Amino acid sequence: MTYEDFADSRLAALLRYAVMLTGDPHQAEDLVQETMVRVQLHWRRVARADSPERYVRRMLTNQHIDWRRGSWMRRVLLRAEPDESTPVGTDHAQSSVDRDEIWSWLARLPRRQRATLVLRYYEDLPDAEIADILGCAVGTVRSSISRALATLRNEYVEVCS
Amino acid sequence: MTENELRAAFARHEALTPPAGPVRAAIDRAVVVRRRRRQRFGAAGVALAVLGALGVGIPQLAPRPDPQDATTVAGPSTGLPTGALNLLVLGLDTRSGAAAPAADSVMIVHLPADRSRPYLISLPRDLEVEIPGFRRDKLNAAFAYGAGREHPDRSKGYDLTRRVVAELIGVPVDAGVVLTFPALRKVTDVLGGVEVCLPQQVRSVHTRRVFPAGCQHLDGPASMDLLRQRRGLPDGGQDRDRNAQRLVAGLVRQAGEKGVLTDPVQISRLLAAVGPDLTVAGASVPDLLRVVPELASVEPVGLSLPVVDDVPRLRADPRAAPAFLDALREDRLDRWAAANPDGVNRLR
Repeated sequence: MTYEDFADSRLAALLRYAVMLTGDPHQAEDLVQETMVRVQLHWRRVARADSPERYVRRMLTNQHIDWRRGSWMRRVLLRAEPDESTPVGTDHAQSSVDRDEIWSWLARLPRRQRATLVLRYYEDLPDAEIADILGCAVGTVRSSISRALATLRNEYVEVCS
Repeated sequence: MTENELRAAFARHEALTPPAGPVRAAIDRAVVVRRRRRQRFGAAGVALAVLGALGVGIPQLAPRPDPQDATTVAGPSTGLPTGALNLLVLGLDTRSGAAAPAADSVMIVHLPADRSRPYLISLPRDLEVEIPGFRRDKLNAAFAYGAGREHPDRSKGYDLTRRVVAELIGVPVDAGVVLTFPALRKVTDVLGGVEVCLPQQVRSVHTRRVFPAGCQHLDGPASMDLLRQRRGLPDGGQDRDRNAQRLVAGLVRQAGEKGVLTDPVQISRLLAAVGPDLTVAGASVPDLLRVVPELASVEPVGLSLPVVDDVPRLRADPRAAPAFLDALREDRLDRWAAANPDGVNRLR
């Protein structure tokens, strides 16, 4: 497989994955661009991997987890609590607020935990593959998922009650 | 159920995904820029050569820390330094711009007290060393640790490497030079090319150029290409270090024949060509070159620290290295070379 083939078939999927990881289209673009530049420069090494796609996903995930620049600002300033002035009159408005709340809860999770959730519930990957991408044990993946879910449930209950 | 809501939240936000076309184009543009930058700076091995040109000489020194020297250092003319001198030459690999550069060529130029001839001693970049304030790592990493990631500071990178090397060889380093890749090319071109003698054929994995065994005349870009070659050589990085020494020897010879090393006008022309790709620590270049006329011969002797494999790194050979380092410390490398002909790298 050439780099061109890979980009043709996988770039869109990687962008979607990056959006789920970062929660932000611009950050996702930056992340994918930075990763794919390295992929192209080292294509021979990437192509030698058993699964180039998983290899790239691992590069991208690690890049995101390690990427410190601006992350705190973006998380805290741009992904803060939902705007209090949001009208809560109708059912429709209420439900869209709920939706955005899930998205902003995701933004407050540690990056590694969010990545685990994305791989599990967006990419629908088996635990073993998630463990491979994150470079940790399968047990760690499972406990990380259940801890993240517990956090989300708690948050959800707190707000609704 | 939280799982289902998560799935729904992800699915809903797919709409945020930016179109792939512009991202693809931006990636390709960034790759072009980065390849160009890599070509300019990237090569490892680097510019040792300059050292060659300057190199021979190099000495005059960083003030040594003894108090008795402190008074003379300030004086306008301290006279030529006497005694053995050790100069550290680092060739930088400034890959990819983002990461801190690593020093992939580490060479000591030793000038014995009798000024008979220069000795070039290569220290392999994969040598495992203790880096003060950090951890055990490869020798080439010391520069990156010292320089720092955010805004790499070459003088700090040099300084940490100098401490590691001084600890390793057991003698202080008197002065140093940090070279980047373009410096080699420019010096070679200013000198009108260089003759290099190779014991075996080298095939470039970067340009597919083949450098045949035997002597050949190389221009700047070709000598740069040669210095980058490590893969495919039987001894990898250590063979590359040997080729770097051959290139240095060739440049020194060339510079000597043209009288560059003793002619201030030509020296300043050379320095103007090299410009900011050269960092000198502890002395100015004209000062460094003042010792040149003292040398009986500028034909260098090529040596390497004896090492053993300790995959994935290298270690100083516990049997051979101590005797070698003792000889260096006691300034009797000539006798060591005579007793260990296999340890001498043939430079022409």
